[in-house]
Amino acid sequence: MSNEIDFDEILGKYRSDPFDYVDIHASHTGKVRFLVKEGDTVDAVTGEWKHIPGTVLFEITRERNPKKVTAMTNGVISNLCEELEGKFVEAGEKLMTIRHPLKKKEIIESILQEVLYIFPAPERAKYFFSLDVQSRIDKKGAREVSVKPGDDIIIMSLMKRDTPVYYRGVQGVIHSVYFKPGVSVDQGAPLIGVCPTDKLPLIEKIITRVKADWDNKD
Amino acid sequence: MNNLNLLIPSILEDYIATVELPWRIKERGLDSELIFRYGAYVGSVIRVYPSLVRAMDTAREHISTHEKSGKPIANGSLILASSLSLSKGRFDRSWHAPPGGLWGCLLIADTFLPQFRNYLALIPGIACCEALHRAGASTSHIRWVNDVLVEGKKQAGFLIEGFCSPVYKENYHLLGFGLNINNDSFPVELQETAVSLAQVLGHPIELASFALSFLAKLRYYIGLLLYEEEQWLACGGGDEYLGEHPLIKRWKELSDTLGKRVQFGYDVVRNPQYMALATGITADGGLVLEHADATCSVEHSGEIRYCHE
Repeated sequence: MSNEIDFDEILGKYRSDPFDYVDIHASHTGKVRFLVKEGDTVDAVTGEWKHIPGTVLFEITRERNPKKVTAMTNGVISNLCEELEGKFVEAGEKLMTIRHPLKKKEIIESILQEVLYIFPAPERAKYFFSLDVQSRIDKKGAREVSVKPGDDIIIMSLMKRDTPVYYRGVQGVIHSVYFKPGVSVDQGAPLIGVCPTDKLPLIEKIITRVKADWDNKD
Repeated sequence: MNNLNLLIPSILEDYIATVELPWRIKERGLDSELIFRYGAYVGSVIRVYPSLVRAMDTAREHISTHEKSGKPIANGSLILASSLSLSKGRFDRSWHAPPGGLWGCLLIADTFLPQFRNYLALIPGIACCEALHRAGASTSHIRWVNDVLVEGKKQAGFLIEGFCSPVYKENYHLLGFGLNINNDSFPVELQETAVSLAQVLGHPIELASFALSFLAKLRYYIGLLLYEEEQWLACGGGDEYLGEHPLIKRWKELSDTLGKRVQFGYDVVRNPQYMALATGITADGGLVLEHADATCSVEHSGEIRYCHE
């Protein structure tokens, strides 16, 4: 990570295209039937417990077992692969893209995720900090807690099976925490963002600058 | 047989050959002999201690010291203690473990496929519940995931913690278990919610005999998990396990969770999150909860309490 950031370039990028493009892939093999059209607006999953499903995007049938797949994020359907309608697809095949309009907070997070070291969730599960790390966070705050490769900083909890997750990444302080205790995190979603201590001022500068610039132009 | 020191691997083998296997063959229909062979490593080494601080800590220490001194670690090693001085449940909850109960930890190397690992948590509850039924406590049930209740009170609790060995970085599952058997007094805070098997039956029972029954069933169901993995791979495997796993089927037969109104929370004692109706269990063991607005969510971690508790 360079100490020099071209703020105008970063902000210009988000100004000209304030969207995230979320590709939707087949969750497993099966025959696909689309339930949305190009340009349709779709709703995200909602509810206090994320229990109200989003818009149904497609149905995939494997061994006479149909499964409806719903949108996890809101936006507009684009790049719908209509040629796959009624066809058998492989797991992981791209089916469509959701063009998701970014909010200011999401833009800041998005920029931060480009400059922080992001440590992802190894499995879909619930996560919490190990007792030692949690007590240090409680005492001093996450940004005063440093981590290094090999530290068991997080516990993954799945079916009453608690597994330590060993940190792999750059040494630094925990700048951002992306999970909440008791809320499931998808595989690959960020758990924490780590920043080397000497880069902290730069990160703060980014946040301040983005907030100020966005507010001025809004 | 009331002395845990009598529990040695050859006694467990004899018990399986003469009691458990014939019963399995008669009752359940699967290839039980083969399944027991898949699980044969469970209890292949048994260490009994008069008392320990925590069996899980002893298991970690055992793995670490063996690796550091270049000694092999027997997969399926079992650590038993007559009492534990500082045992604990999930989070920082204390667990009362005086003489008379069955307390210990089973070391299992993580050789399971990712698609099957979730089922491991169902096994101790199933094994315990079956052993209780065999001992005469026919009103015992499993509360999701693996708490065992008899007449609404907790008789047994299980905890699985992961451990990465310090030298060879092998991953282990440490399956901690605490079963109230002959211990008949509980601290004030547990008196309303905990019960021992002796209290349920009205008489003490032979601890080592019960332990044999429980361990034989643990061995069978861990064997079944591995057997099913092999069957699944032989059929081509895939991204996920399709159909109903026999462990899910058996769990449903022994659980009283489905159909009950429950309070759910990640730490339900300290921070209950919501109430819902438990309507089903997914193919991978998740609990399906129906909310008041008829929408459903699936929980794969966390815990529940029944609403009348």
